[in-house]
Amino acid sequence: MIIRKEDRIWLFLFIMPSLSLFVVFFIIPILFLFITSFTNWDGIEADFVGLNNYIKLFNNKTFIRSIVNNIYWILSSALIQVPLALIIALLLSHRSRGWKVFRTILFIPQVVSSAAIALLWMALYNSEYGLINFILDSIGLEGYKNHNWLGTISTAQPALLAFWLCYVGYYMIIMLAKTTSISEDYYDAAKIDGALQFHMDWFITAPLIRSTFFTCLILGVIFNLRQFEFVYLMTNGGPANKTGVLVLYIWKELQIQRLGLGNAAGVIMIAFGAILLLLMRRILRSPNYD
Amino acid sequence: MTNMGNVLFNKIYYYFKWIIIIIFVIYAVFPFLWLVLTSLKTNAELLDNPFSLPNKFQFKNYKEAVTSAGLGQLIINSLIISSIATFINIIISSMFAYSISRHKFFGSNFLFLMVVSGILVPLNALIIPYFAIINYLNLYDTRIGLILVYSAVGLPVSIYILTEFFKSIPKEIEEASVVDGCNFLQRYIKIMLPLSVPGLMTAGTFQFILCWNEFIYAMLLTSSKNIRTIQFGISYFTNEFFSDYVSMFAAIVISIIPSITVFILFQERVITGLTAGAVKG
Repeated sequence: MIIRKEDRIWLFLFIMPSLSLFVVFFIIPILFLFITSFTNWDGIEADFVGLNNYIKLFNNKTFIRSIVNNIYWILSSALIQVPLALIIALLLSHRSRGWKVFRTILFIPQVVSSAAIALLWMALYNSEYGLINFILDSIGLEGYKNHNWLGTISTAQPALLAFWLCYVGYYMIIMLAKTTSISEDYYDAAKIDGALQFHMDWFITAPLIRSTFFTCLILGVIFNLRQFEFVYLMTNGGPANKTGVLVLYIWKELQIQRLGLGNAAGVIMIAFGAILLLLMRRILRSPNYD
Repeated sequence: MTNMGNVLFNKIYYYFKWIIIIIFVIYAVFPFLWLVLTSLKTNAELLDNPFSLPNKFQFKNYKEAVTSAGLGQLIINSLIISSIATFINIIISSMFAYSISRHKFFGSNFLFLMVVSGILVPLNALIIPYFAIINYLNLYDTRIGLILVYSAVGLPVSIYILTEFFKSIPKEIEEASVVDGCNFLQRYIKIMLPLSVPGLMTAGTFQFILCWNEFIYAMLLTSSKNIRTIQFGISYFTNEFFSDYVSMFAAIVISIIPSITVFILFQERVITGLTAGAVKG
């Protein structure tokens, strides 16, 4: 559209509201995060301390543990959750009877808030009235009758990860949609060659939705890097600080007013995310089949 | 492979497919069914057997959750904050998206890329700066503070969805209206907005679900009970001294109804929105 003179003022008026909110809540916070990460800011005064915060963080066991746990979240999403979602997307892509209903049902957990999901699974894991121990008990595994899944060091982290990994709806729906863009010709040709459904799924559909699979892996990195609600509500980082994640670490620094240190952790988190995304783009850059 | 082998293999794969789909569907649904069922039991029934059906539906658990935990106020707060934040977010992002998608000017592409790259920023890293900014603006523990934050954090996704949508509307329609003497504002209100209702609904659905479900900023930026949102409110039930479990279940059920309802009503919009971006990769 040709921009006329009187349009310029309108353009300015139309862009400003979003732009100013973006500046206040994206650009300023990121600059602010970066600058204060070199200070010992405690909410009142701030002195420049150079790289001290960063040195402290990398010598802090809880912080290292938090990064490692974030890596667990990211890896288990990339190695378990997204591949599971791929399998289900391939199976639903046959468009057998009822596939739309199944698609909707599988997606529902994704629109429920993390807080509600966390409380629900705390109840399922509960040692007094939880369903999981009840089921384990009734199939004969009596050792688990009063097992406190989220309060025991050996099971807290796996329990925290496991329930979420089986909710695959989000990635599934993205990959499933991509399958609709595949031409029927491929399948017709394959059928003439005597290909079975299994072959068509794994040798035609799967390679053709590769780029979407990678998109899902990248989304998985972002989601699992900002993991907070499940950990905060279900274990609050315990037992023995074994399950904390980066955001929870920042949250706890905020509670004790070590804001400079918390912000250094925030910078590391953003940098870590950026490095991971760049690496993944590099590794996953693939020949395009489309 | 022989033909017989092929037929058998196809059959096995067919059964495998249904078994997998059914397992995951049960996994997605069953915990919620258990939640609803348990919310209708008594505490004694729950402790006795978590699997049993309630003897008599205890609807009073819901009454208890609404009155004793003040859930009514929390729902009203969440509804007010989510609706206003959705409204503001959609209005300003559609204005922004209209400007940059239908007009080429110096920096228009840069503006788009800058805002959309916000999708990749792990915003939870910024809790301390957000806390400081909201305090600086004197908006701590106010609805306006949360509304501003929610309107802002949803900008990248909304602007992305709406820009893509506006781009898909044929140029000729707008050009014809210029000939008819419509100015910038009229073109936006009379031509573009009516044509982009599906896009606005997609972005709006996402934004509403985001606001309704948001937890960390609600916890960070509010403290008093008459401002608090429901997601933060239900987390109080995790208090170890709280032993009225069935009311907690009732409260969780109430808290998830709005987002599920919005999703069921607008599911086609949610699915197109999710896929529009991802299909492009």
